[in-house]
Amino acid sequence: MNDAQSMTSDLPGDVGLVEHHDFKYNQEFTFECGKTLPGFTIRYETYGRLNRNKDNAIIVCHALSGDHHCAGVNSLKDRKPGWWDNLIGPNKAIDTDKYFVICSNVLGGCQGSSGPSSTNPETGKPYFLDFPAVSIKDMVRSQYLLITEELGIKKLLAAIGGSMGGMQVLQWGIEYPCFVKRIIGLATTGRQNAQAIAFNEVGRWAIMQDPDWNNGQYERGKGPNVGLAIARMMAHITYLSDKGMEDKFGRQKKKQQDGNIFDAEFEVESYLRYQGQSFISRFDANSYLYITKALDHFDLYGNDATMESAFNTIESRVLMVGFTSDWLYPPEQNRDIVHTLLRCGKDATYAQLNMDLGHDSFLVHAPALYELVENFLAN
Amino acid sequence: MVKSRTQRKRQTDLEIISEWIEPSSRVLDLGCGHGVFLEHLKNRRDIQGVGVDIDVSKIASCVKRGVTAYQGDAITFMDVFEKGHFDWVVCSRTLQEISKPGEMLEKALEVGRNVAVGFTNYAFWKNRIYWLQNGKRPKNQVFTKDWGESRADVPISINVFETHCAQNNIKINQKIYLGSDWKTPVHRFPNLLSGYAIYSICKK
Repeated sequence: MNDAQSMTSDLPGDVGLVEHHDFKYNQEFTFECGKTLPGFTIRYETYGRLNRNKDNAIIVCHALSGDHHCAGVNSLKDRKPGWWDNLIGPNKAIDTDKYFVICSNVLGGCQGSSGPSSTNPETGKPYFLDFPAVSIKDMVRSQYLLITEELGIKKLLAAIGGSMGGMQVLQWGIEYPCFVKRIIGLATTGRQNAQAIAFNEVGRWAIMQDPDWNNGQYERGKGPNVGLAIARMMAHITYLSDKGMEDKFGRQKKKQQDGNIFDAEFEVESYLRYQGQSFISRFDANSYLYITKALDHFDLYGNDATMESAFNTIESRVLMVGFTSDWLYPPEQNRDIVHTLLRCGKDATYAQLNMDLGHDSFLVHAPALYELVENFLAN
Repeated sequence: MVKSRTQRKRQTDLEIISEWIEPSSRVLDLGCGHGVFLEHLKNRRDIQGVGVDIDVSKIASCVKRGVTAYQGDAITFMDVFEKGHFDWVVCSRTLQEISKPGEMLEKALEVGRNVAVGFTNYAFWKNRIYWLQNGKRPKNQVFTKDWGESRADVPISINVFETHCAQNNIKINQKIYLGSDWKTPVHRFPNLLSGYAIYSICKK
């Protein structure tokens, strides 16, 4: 190795151009709700190389509006890289020179995995609301099939995810105790409280009250765009924080205004409208309904109001990270997961990061988080 | 790597306490700092340990060491556990930084079947002379900071601690007094001659 190489070798790099793959499972799959599908497709991407022992694989689980594309770019024209590109790549916290990283679009989603907008082979039309209700457990079970049957992996080095991704990684530990060595959950919860369910319901109601929703039967691109945009605008507020929004927008006004009293006047209005509009071009309204229901139903506490029975089987080492300004899945809910695990005699670490950006803090540039993730994976 | 004098001093504390702890014990370290103690116990005694500390950078160090740790308030953290959940609760050089040391001890004795306590003896003769000569709190290897930037500081002496135990139904199973080098045992006038004291205590 020459000097120039050794000087640059520790710098974080990018995974570069990546392509997605489709895993087609052709056997009957029974959902947690009892309904079945004759098979399904899961779209996924991988980064890094699977080693000979096949013991360096990490699954990344995405949140409600995320997808399988979490690092690199799909085309050189892409304006932005994958959603967790700051965390995943050569010499980054999840080092793709060491680890083989897998990320799949969840079952019920709309970015290539089977969901309500996929074609029902029986009718030749989209499933629409005939698609079975999907749960966090169903998402994880389909990921397990991808990992074992398609990729031939017998053990995961780690499962990592934030928000709904955090629910999935906990479910991984519960469902496949000896399969996952480490679990990293960020800004997540063992069950949503009433407030979080309430916000999801307002989003769903906005979609379902849009006449173009038409009981879920709409042509691609002609769905309840207004309702979906409103759902996204509102949900987006819950991912931020008062301070985060104040720092970013304050009462700043747009430079150009049309003079109409109800046109976007403040920067924050314009930002939310943009968020809503850009969301409808990439997300399916029915998937939004299905996945928010999966979030609402997720409940590790169960009837006895404690997570102890759910966590009894966990064998993985767990790291949970809460964020001070997250009021959607607040620090206490992340702490409670660790409390319960420790009570059950499990190995669980809790760290809390003081960040202003609310629930979405887990997605932004945060060296303290990178350090935790990198070291937890290495040990 | 050459260890500093303070590091060597800490080593003694750590070695004495880890002799008491049976292999495979469940251990809680209150104010675990960077996790050095738990790492040592894990390697030597194969214990199942968890540390608690309020400072996120300390938790990050623990994660780096492979030590399980919890970021939060040590006293409220203990409320999470049932009586006797831990075989040992370790309270090494923590009590003097707690605003309610009595409450911490009480809870530690509740969740732990045994509690190991280590502290620097504030009534050590050098500290007394320093006070007499200078009329202010000592500043030395142990008390490194000026008043302004020091953390909460509730000095403990051997007399104060043992009186507290006697008054609160706390049984002292073992006590070890060390001299100013924190190594040589001290047998006479410990409150005056001992720089560091280590106890194994439990509920009566």
